[in-house]
Amino acid sequence: MRLRAATMIRLYPRAWRARYGEEFLAILGDDDLTVQQLIDVVSGAIDARLSSDVQHAVGVGATQGGSTMLQSLLAGEKNSMRATKRDGLIGAAVMIGTSLLFSVLGGAAKRGGWLPPTMVESLLAMAFPAALTLSMPFWLMKGQPWKAQAMIVGGTLAMLLAIGWLRSAR
Amino acid sequence: MTNHDERIEGLGRFSEPALYILISLAEGPKHGYAMTQDIAAVSGQALGPGTLYGAIARLEARKWIEALPAEERRRPYKITAVGKRVLHARLESLRTVARVGQVRLAGR
Repeated sequence: MRLRAATMIRLYPRAWRARYGEEFLAILGDDDLTVQQLIDVVSGAIDARLSSDVQHAVGVGATQGGSTMLQSLLAGEKNSMRATKRDGLIGAAVMIGTSLLFSVLGGAAKRGGWLPPTMVESLLAMAFPAALTLSMPFWLMKGQPWKAQAMIVGGTLAMLLAIGWLRSAR
Repeated sequence: MTNHDERIEGLGRFSEPALYILISLAEGPKHGYAMTQDIAAVSGQALGPGTLYGAIARLEARKWIEALPAEERRRPYKITAVGKRVLHARLESLRTVARVGQVRLAGR
């Protein structure tokens, strides 16, 4: 796979890269990443953007007692995302709207018998994580390079799709 | 950050990597690459850098480990007194679990 650590590290927040970037690259070296490493690096990037613990360690957006994503979203607190309260509300609307859409589609497919029951079950189970992922560019990843946004959102949706497919194939 | 639960189990999916990191640093300060090598030798687990630095960040946030001045591109970490206490408690807990398991197995 022609992806190298120096490319993938762009998925991580700037403050994280400033704190751990050099060490991280020293571990991975200049070789192409394996699939296993790629999954680990993408998961780590998502965690670095979502975890208040990690943000605290790198000195970004630390709040007493830890902040939840929802608190960050509504407060529009200082963070690498540079999101305003309005962005937060748009993100919340996208998340709720998409989640409802998936649920309605799942319910309709169940009643209409368009899809196998296991696939409908998977669709309903994936509704919220998929909606959360789709809402991220509007608030959590606002201001980040579009390539990083596309890779995180696309990668997460691909993983959700794979998990859903595996669940329904069982 | 205050009021952190002083239990490794509170780190969720990072509990096991964090335990390995603390065990590795109990021997002395190490940088990330040296930790991954030591952990692989001790436990057979190959920690990816995403997982490794997710756990390191959590341990730093809790002040269970701390960074030392960087050496070239690598920054060594050392376990703190709190980290040693947390590790000791976790190892005692695991020892109890192992003992109970062995007694029950022997009783069959």
